[in-house]
Amino acid sequence: MRHYENLVIVKPTFTAEEIQASIKAVEETITSNGGEIAATTSMGMRKLAYPIDKNERGYYHVVYYSVAPAAISEIERRFRINEDLLRFVTIKYDTNREITAWNKLVEKANKAATPAKEEVKEEVEVEVETKVEVEIETEAPVTEAPAEQEA
Amino acid sequence: MSEKRKYKKRYCKYCEAKVDFMDYKEVGALRFSLSERYKIMPRRLTGNCKRHQDMIATVIKRARAAALVPYTVTRKQVVTAPFENLK
Repeated sequence: MRHYENLVIVKPTFTAEEIQASIKAVEETITSNGGEIAATTSMGMRKLAYPIDKNERGYYHVVYYSVAPAAISEIERRFRINEDLLRFVTIKYDTNREITAWNKLVEKANKAATPAKEEVKEEVEVEVETKVEVEIETEAPVTEAPAEQEA
Repeated sequence: MSEKRKYKKRYCKYCEAKVDFMDYKEVGALRFSLSERYKIMPRRLTGNCKRHQDMIATVIKRARAAALVPYTVTRKQVVTAPFENLK
C-alpha cells in the first residue's frame, strides 16, 4: 500500500447535487479498486487559472487515500473515461518525508471537514472534565474527614 | 579584487524557514518563486538552494497541471491580473 492524493476538477455546469454524485462516483472508483480513503477536502468552486474545455470555473475536490501501486493505472483509466471531470492530478507520496507530510495533510483535512462536530465533542469533554473535578473535590474532603476522625 | 559586490548576499528563504515539504495547493506560498508572468524564477535571482529550487519547480508544475497557476500569461491577462487570483 502506498499513499496517494488525487485532485479532481468537476464540471461547473452541474448542480450541487450532481457535483456531489460525481464526487461519490470518484470515491467509489478508488474504493472499488482496493483503495482506503483517509480524508477528503473540497476546495469548492474556483476560477481556473486557464480555461479547460472552454470552462472558466471548476469544482475542486481532493481525496487522500492509500492503495496498492498497481491499481493506480486502472483508477486513472476510469478517471479518463469519466466525462464529469475536467482534470485530475494524482500525486504519489513515497519517501519518508513525503509520507509524514501526507499524514499532516490528512489530519488537517479531517480537522477542517468536521469543525462543528469537534467543537461539540470538545465542549462535552470539557463538561465531563469539570464534572470529574467536582467529584474529586467532593471526594477529597470525604477521604480526609475519616482520616481526621481516625486521628 | 577591489570591486565591491553589487548585490547583497543571497540566502535560501526556504532553508531559513526549514521547509521540508511544499503543498502545491497552497498557491500563495508559490508566489515568491514565480515571476509576474508566472515563470519559475531562476535560482540566481531568488537565491534558493538547489534542493529547494528542485522542490519548488516540481510543485509549481503540479499546480499548473491542476489549473491553480497558469502556464503562460498573454499581454491582456498580464495587465488585469498580477497575482489577483492567487489567494
